[in-house]
Amino acid sequence: MTDNPIFLADTGAATINVALLMSALLFVIGLVGFLSRRNMILMFLCTELMFQAAALAMIAFGKVHGDLSGQVFVIFILTVAAAEAALALGLVVLLYRRRETLDSEAWSELREA
Amino acid sequence: MEIALPPTQLLAEAIASPAAIALTSACAIGAAGLALLMQPGKKGLRIAGTVIALAGFAMLLVEVIKRASTGDDGATTAIPPVFPVIFSFIALAGAVRMVTHPKPVFAALYFILVVIATAGMFLLLGAEFMAFSLIIVYAGAILITYMFVLMLAQQSPVAGVGDAWYDRVPREAVSAVVVGFVILATLSDAYFSERTQTQLADARANGESAAIERSWERLEGMPKLLLETARTAHEDQWRAAQREVAAGTTAATMPEIVSIEQKADRSALRRIEGGVSVTATLADGSTISVAIPDALRPDNSRQVGVDLVSKFPAGLEIAGVVLLMALFGAVILARKQIELGEDERRGLAGMRRITVDGEAGGMR
Repeated sequence: MTDNPIFLADTGAATINVALLMSALLFVIGLVGFLSRRNMILMFLCTELMFQAAALAMIAFGKVHGDLSGQVFVIFILTVAAAEAALALGLVVLLYRRRETLDSEAWSELREA
Repeated sequence: MEIALPPTQLLAEAIASPAAIALTSACAIGAAGLALLMQPGKKGLRIAGTVIALAGFAMLLVEVIKRASTGDDGATTAIPPVFPVIFSFIALAGAVRMVTHPKPVFAALYFILVVIATAGMFLLLGAEFMAFSLIIVYAGAILITYMFVLMLAQQSPVAGVGDAWYDRVPREAVSAVVVGFVILATLSDAYFSERTQTQLADARANGESAAIERSWERLEGMPKLLLETARTAHEDQWRAAQREVAAGTTAATMPEIVSIEQKADRSALRRIEGGVSVTATLADGSTISVAIPDALRPDNSRQVGVDLVSKFPAGLEIAGVVLLMALFGAVILARKQIELGEDERRGLAGMRRITVDGEAGGMR
């Protein structure tokens, strides 16, 4: 890691900061997408985006402390994301069969009031 | 350690400082651009949104990079972080397109772009193993599942109708962006405030040496790899010595290391300058001391593997259980799909049908 070629040169704190900024932005965009998309599949895709942001933040902070626990946690994030994708997509397909639409507002009667 | 300030004082500090204002206004500009980008069907607005969002992003980047240099006594900022900026730009553009694109399949493809850019960022942060497993698992497996379901559940395009209306029209775009802005401003203030930046710089100051220290500790737990590493280091040094003595005069064979000596407390490594040294036994029974330079420490994937099984065994088991349960759940959900005719049965029995008739939209 120390003898990187020049284009991968360790730019130190700036890299960490850009990574943290990127993670915050990805999380927020994922959240905005989750709130504003109507397509149920895309809503779940936006949660995947938020998972990515969390993973990136963990790896960036792990790099700061020289600790690999952040990277190990990303493995768990990947596991949960895979499980979530399998279950959520199964559910979405079921819902789609019921209403013949992917619009999440077709199910708005499930909410209270 | 920092002494925690009372929240009112923190708030006052956050509001009053000009740096915080710069950061927050950059967030606001980016958010305004995103809100404009989400307006469907108006090309002019979308172009303006792109420009404004880019401006906000650039302001954020400049601000953030500037802060890195203040916390870091300016030594490492000679090289601008070109690749991080490129990767974060790609990821951001992909994410915004994913959130705003009217075609779901394209949104999923843009997500792959985000995954690849994130993986590039992981590489820059020295997480090689996670970078490639991210691409394999996300771009390879999860996204393919999404594409499958998108194509399964996609309404067949009717001529003249185009994309489904619920993909074109966002729901409450402005309030969603406002929520996003609040969270982004809070997060960026938390990450890039002077207090945090100093803490990060402090942690970074001994982060690198801590990483090297830990990698040697892990190597100590892997006797076979330790032997291999010692052999490699020994061979390198031996070759270098041969070259120095005389070119081509000796055809001596290199003495093979057969074992590494361990002390009573099972430790084999001694720290020396720029690496570690071990005491190795050669084939003829003599012992030598072999210096292993830092460059030969175990690579990222080995270290992550060791950490995974040695520090988080319970987490590993739970991950297995989660995957197994997801498997069961998916099977049960898939079995349910067989009972399809429920709606028709309701219709026959004279009850209200659940399904909303009509296509491309299902207005309630």
